Amino acid sequence: MAGKIIFRGESEMPLFPVSSGDMRWNRTGTWRYIRPKYEDKTPPCNAACPAGVDIAGFIGLVAEGRYEEAWHLVREENPFPGVCGRVCFHPCVSSCNREHYDEALAINALERFVADRALALEPKPPVRNVRKEKVAVVGSGPSGLSCAYHAAKMGYPVTVFEELQQSGGILRMGIPPYRLPKDILDKEIADIEAYGVEIKTGVRLGTELTFEDLKDYGAIYLATGAHVSRTLNIPGEDLDGVLSGLDVLRNSNLGKEVRIGGRVAVIGGGNTALDSARALLRLGGNPFILYRRSRNEMPAFDEEISEALEEGIEIRYLVSPTEIIGHEGRVTQLACVEMELGEEDETGRRSPVPIPDSRFTIDVDGVVVAIGEESDLAFLPEDIRVEGTMVTTDTAARTSRKDVFAGGDIVTLHRTVAHAIGFGKLAAISIDCALRKRDVGVVLQGIQVGENGSISVAKYLDELARRRAPHVVVYEELNLAYFEHQARSERARASVPERATDFREVIAGFTEQKAVREAERCFSCGVCNDCENCYVFCPDLCVIIDGGVVRYRINYDYCKGCGICIAECPRNALSVEKEAK
Amino acid sequence: MKRVLSGNKAVAYGVMLSRVQVISAYPITPQTTIVEELSRFCAVGDLEAKFIKVESEHSAMASIIASSLTGSRSFTATSSHGLALMHEMLHWAAGGRLPLVMVNVNRALGPGWNIWTDQGDSLSQRDTGWIQLYCEDNQEVLDTIIQAFRIAETVSLPVMVVLDAFFLSHTSEIVDIPPQEEVDAFLPIFERQYRLDAREPRAYFGLSSPDYYMEFRYKMQRAMEDSVRVAKTLDEEFGRQFGRTHGILEPYRCEDAELVMVTSGTVTSTSRVVIDRLREEGVKVGLLKVKMFRPFPMDEIKRVLKGIGKVGVIDRNISFGHGGIFAQEIRSAFCNEDERPMVFGFIMGLGGRDVTPDAIEDAIKVTLHNERPMEEIYWIGLKR
Repeated sequence: MAGKIIFRGESEMPLFPVSSGDMRWNRTGTWRYIRPKYEDKTPPCNAACPAGVDIAGFIGLVAEGRYEEAWHLVREENPFPGVCGRVCFHPCVSSCNREHYDEALAINALERFVADRALALEPKPPVRNVRKEKVAVVGSGPSGLSCAYHAAKMGYPVTVFEELQQSGGILRMGIPPYRLPKDILDKEIADIEAYGVEIKTGVRLGTELTFEDLKDYGAIYLATGAHVSRTLNIPGEDLDGVLSGLDVLRNSNLGKEVRIGGRVAVIGGGNTALDSARALLRLGGNPFILYRRSRNEMPAFDEEISEALEEGIEIRYLVSPTEIIGHEGRVTQLACVEMELGEEDETGRRSPVPIPDSRFTIDVDGVVVAIGEESDLAFLPEDIRVEGTMVTTDTAARTSRKDVFAGGDIVTLHRTVAHAIGFGKLAAISIDCALRKRDVGVVLQGIQVGENGSISVAKYLDELARRRAPHVVVYEELNLAYFEHQARSERARASVPERATDFREVIAGFTEQKAVREAERCFSCGVCNDCENCYVFCPDLCVIIDGGVVRYRINYDYCKGCGICIAECPRNALSVEKEAK
Repeated sequence: MKRVLSGNKAVAYGVMLSRVQVISAYPITPQTTIVEELSRFCAVGDLEAKFIKVESEHSAMASIIASSLTGSRSFTATSSHGLALMHEMLHWAAGGRLPLVMVNVNRALGPGWNIWTDQGDSLSQRDTGWIQLYCEDNQEVLDTIIQAFRIAETVSLPVMVVLDAFFLSHTSEIVDIPPQEEVDAFLPIFERQYRLDAREPRAYFGLSSPDYYMEFRYKMQRAMEDSVRVAKTLDEEFGRQFGRTHGILEPYRCEDAELVMVTSGTVTSTSRVVIDRLREEGVKVGLLKVKMFRPFPMDEIKRVLKGIGKVGVIDRNISFGHGGIFAQEIRSAFCNEDERPMVFGFIMGLGGRDVTPDAIEDAIKVTLHNERPMEEIYWIGLKR
């Protein structure tokens, strides 16, 4: 409105305070200098999720018993709720604001509950205009299938090429059934195929298939993963009885013979090492783990480490092998040196340094090397740029060749299922933008979830979906007066003797009662969940409940800007803005 | 047209003749019959006004503040605790420069519970920015209502017309009710500069920073000062129209007086009788009736009392910790004068106790026989 009016003296002033003009633009008059507005914000769990799942949204639905809707909501962003509910490293839980109050919410367990309730449900592929451009996806791991799923939702005919005879990539080959039962994985892949995604197995790019064969495709997504095991580069690695961790898991998971047993030294501190040892235990072996740093530096999930220890698997820290010793071509002993921790290395972990004259030997029947995996990129044509063992991509998953996109383990060291799924989604959006000639940079800016790079495909497909400010709600912004302390709901676990005999799933799912109780613990940070506190507290009765997409609105003709609604919102779903002047 | 009217009915006629458009009030003894009469006028159609029933005096004042903002001539009446409850709104009315007229029937404040006359209620509101006019009889009450609207609308300040409980409110006298057309001539339809208008709504009474608040207060004081002259001029104009005036002050037999008694309200009428009797006995005593208490007409009072040796002030009120309020005001009027009277302060008639001619004579004798006050406060008629 008008600028500031300055009176030089009382003679210029009116008799009493009165606005100089019409106040229809602000009917409460100058009393209100701030106004509340409904503004959903980003919950920390959502911002932390590399797959961009609307966590507060689906948990709210679980709390109301709307499990099927919850399943559909998760699947808007992520076609693998059953997988992620089990094997994700759940940064959502680590970032949960409830952690500061009592205990973080068991978000992963709720996601699994939603997926398990949906085992009998059919997905509902949307009816969309079919796009004429075809999309090829190379690799059927979580990243490839995520891209395929989202591209199919956007209307593209998608073909996935898989080298192995079965789809699923690392989910099937690398993760044992006691963490991820095969029927769960099969169901979620089938649900993706229900969108029209064609998966061709036994087709390896570079041998059965060439880039030339893919020239009819409008876009190619490379998601071939990292499945070449690193070697120790010590004498004796070629002996019989020395296997890679991936070999052990692949054979075990496919039901093939694992030609190793007895006393087995598993070398490494990641999930592959832990899973290899635990698989060998279940196959009747007597594995133990050697790790060259201490527990603090172990990259494996804490839960995996503690479960392995429960199962009686010994972990020896600060030990590094120097030689595998054999007799008649077969491994008999492992020579090691003891280590101590020195300076921090580039990963921020203290690096191990050998202690002089500490060599010792251990009698073993086998050795499993599980010290990390790399990608085999030999199949790539020369015009796709590579740095080291990674494909070079930009922030929109584009390679140096304009129709080729890449993601997952071949582009990042964040080798998690959730990151892989996020990359697949990013690639699908980027492909769609490329084929529709949209500026992907601008698009990605508009579909951010929070400020950490997570994106929402639901927002991409529908600008009105999940309109939330990027601000991530922190604990101090909540009004805790409205929450009661309540411990996290626990889940049943298979006993140690049961686990040693077969590959049954270790952790049971939530019962419905426990799931609802857990979901009700959710603060729903920044996301209005219709608690009606604002409606109850407004002293001027100007909170109106309408029932539309935005259920609440404020009658600014009466709102005096007291801010009580904002203060009493338990979850910071209202914001304050300065009144126009 | 002459009628026998109680003070409260005189108020109601004054309001009707003033063509008030909005009345909002909450009943309280001894004001109740004012409101009853006005609601009857509205019900039978003698007065075309909106009568708003409210749940408290605070709301009554709030209602007429709003109606006055729209430009409607508005009125309320109250008493004692009702006035006290209005206190906050009195500031809003005055600070909002609204030409409201309110009648306050002077009644004591509790506890002890007391419905009889006492000036404590209205004098407690002396700093709210309201003009205060104290009436002596029912004719003056009716005439003052009409004048009050003219004053209020001229200086943009609200006016409180004050009359004593029961001695005026419920006592009937002959009152001349002027013809409507003559009142209309004296009090034409009021056009307000600022009007709350739904077609061009403005924000009223908003935040005033320290940059400007003081200037608003300065303008109120200037309007107060101005209203002394305005009230005098309008009273003279009223006299030309209706053949009677009341003045803002009325000196009685002060010509050669050595001592002057100062009174307000109905005590004045009783005092006149005493003064007449003492004059017959040769006592050179006069009387000054103070009608206008706010603004306090300093110059006029000093002019009347100039050269008078002793002044006795009768206060039917007390400012606890100091004394009678009219006495304070008289003293302060002379404080910077070289020649100033001895001021004797008398407290009497609190809570409706009769101020009898004998009591007034006692006060006069104290003033007469002492060169200077021996006590800060003389309590007359107190049972010791």
